[in-house]
Amino acid sequence: MAAIEVENLYKMFRIPHEKRNTVFESLAGALKPPQYETFQALNNINFEVDEGEALGIIGENGSGKSTLLKIMANILRPTKGSVKVNKRITPFLELGVGFQPNFTASENVRTYATIMGISKREIEYKLDDVLEFAGLEKFRDTKLKNFSSGMQVRLAFSTAIQTDPEILLMDEVLAVGDMEFQQKCLDVLNQYRNEGVTIIFVSHDLGAVRRFCDRTLLLHKGVQVALGDTGDVIDRYVYGGNETSTPEVSEVEQADTKEVEEPKNRWGDKQIEIVNVEFYDKFGNSGSRFNSFDPITIRIFYQAHKKVMDPVFGIALYSEKGENLFGTNTELKNLTIDSIEGSGHIDLEIDRLTILTGRFFLTVAIHSHDHKPYDWHDKLYSFDVMPTSRDAGIFEIPCNWKL
Amino acid sequence: MIFKHLIELYNYRDLIWKLSWGEFKLRYKNSILGYFWSLLEPLLMLTVLYFVFSNLMRVQVEYYQLFLLMGIILWNFLSRSTNIGMFAIVGRPDMIKKIYFPRDIFVISSCITALLMSLFESVVFFIFMAVFRVPLSFNIVYAPLILIFLFFLALGIAMALSALNVYYRDVQFIWDVLMQAGFFATPILYTVDILPEAFRKIVFLNPMARIIVSARDTIIYSTPARSEDLLFMFASSVFFLILGYAIFSRLEPGFAEEI
Repeated sequence: MAAIEVENLYKMFRIPHEKRNTVFESLAGALKPPQYETFQALNNINFEVDEGEALGIIGENGSGKSTLLKIMANILRPTKGSVKVNKRITPFLELGVGFQPNFTASENVRTYATIMGISKREIEYKLDDVLEFAGLEKFRDTKLKNFSSGMQVRLAFSTAIQTDPEILLMDEVLAVGDMEFQQKCLDVLNQYRNEGVTIIFVSHDLGAVRRFCDRTLLLHKGVQVALGDTGDVIDRYVYGGNETSTPEVSEVEQADTKEVEEPKNRWGDKQIEIVNVEFYDKFGNSGSRFNSFDPITIRIFYQAHKKVMDPVFGIALYSEKGENLFGTNTELKNLTIDSIEGSGHIDLEIDRLTILTGRFFLTVAIHSHDHKPYDWHDKLYSFDVMPTSRDAGIFEIPCNWKL
Repeated sequence: MIFKHLIELYNYRDLIWKLSWGEFKLRYKNSILGYFWSLLEPLLMLTVLYFVFSNLMRVQVEYYQLFLLMGIILWNFLSRSTNIGMFAIVGRPDMIKKIYFPRDIFVISSCITALLMSLFESVVFFIFMAVFRVPLSFNIVYAPLILIFLFFLALGIAMALSALNVYYRDVQFIWDVLMQAGFFATPILYTVDILPEAFRKIVFLNPMARIIVSARDTIIYSTPARSEDLLFMFASSVFFLILGYAIFSRLEPGFAEEI
């Protein structure tokens, strides 16, 4: 039997133009029909989650992920369709719900544990463990309002993991806290998984989704775009199938990659002009979002207004902070171009993008052998890299541990 | 449906108790006199009302202090449980928006908090009873029954108010006015005997009137409760509970969106 069955699920929000908040306003406005905008948050969602399965839910902000999770948790109700939950559900939507700043740590643990559905006897039995795991034994009788936010989160988390869930709903829990805390979260998640707990995991951290989820659901503006093997769905998300990108979105993405006419970022005598620069993913589609460690091709379209001898094509890569991370050109790579004329393009092929994650800016330039710029586009292009590994930092250095 | 819901509520009994007790403690945590405020408040009110009605208005009632105190404590319970209960949902936006358990738990625990406060207050009442040497009679067995009727009556009203308050924020002001009027329309300060016959019938349509009068009869005046009163109280508490629950469950699905 499936743990969760979602069938023809629709969720529509009504956003009234003027909110009637009182009896008086409602009576006064009784004759005038209320005007409101509708917002279709979820549009015909269908899926099942098997027992013991880990399902990831990914999508941009506003794609309906959290709404879907809240409907599964019974916090919001569907407009149409049904969600059947056949097991006990434990939501980790937010940690520390119901914390009372005026109560002590141990009192709060007791209350929070009760909210999370842990029995009274169990709490007393586990109270010391909870405080120890949070590293807060000394503050057992300190009022919560004197705790730092980090301490509160630790307390909430170590309480929450005492639950014995059958279905676990996780929403961006991993996004809070420092590296150490995130590691703890992941360990716990792994442990639950090994115990056969059904997990629904919503995250922007594609790396984490890739590691934990058997299957993944991709949402785009409330529409179910893809459901299937995690690797395939993440590729679909990152590289965007044709169906996924509505015109609006692709315009925005195009705007990122196309040059903006800003003279201060562009100079040169224009004997050769850079017409366009495109990034191609492993499927040969143009885009601006890539998985780390995937191949990528940078194509520079040029137009030479007259025959130019011995031009040099170059690129430079910058972080969002403007640090120069990498630069190369055709001369450095020993590619001699005798001459070019008319329009054409040149490719820079990258077999493995060793950048881990972030947004990056690219300078593309054509200059003469003696460094006289023909056309210089300074940081006019950008692309995003989605994480696939858990290494820290900006880029990967190929390495191995040996003992 | 309702039966299943009751089982669910039973499974959440720990939480209901935690919320009720937590709220009770919180109400007195930061005051110097702590729990004694709870006793001081009705005593102050009693002193003022007793002075006014006994000396200035010359009300002649046997054990008038106890008569008044009983009325005040019971009325206070209704007033508190509805006023705390009314904010049980709107006062906890993050609990409503971020986690789910049956939401009437919040209202139920508000009413239990109010009950704890009232039980605590009634300690004063029984001390007074001992001071005035009022004999306790066997008829006090009716008292718990009357209290149960009162509790479910208050719970029903609190459920309706808590749900309506999510959608209409002026419900609290309307309710305030109703409670003010109700205080004088209910025989708290006076006996029903001073009213003309026709008025008495109307006054007794108010379930609070029957509750207060029966509670006084059985506890202070050692007379058994009238079965007509018991029946009326039972019917009205069931009616308000069903009405309140119906309004609550009708509006409950939209709580997380509206709040």
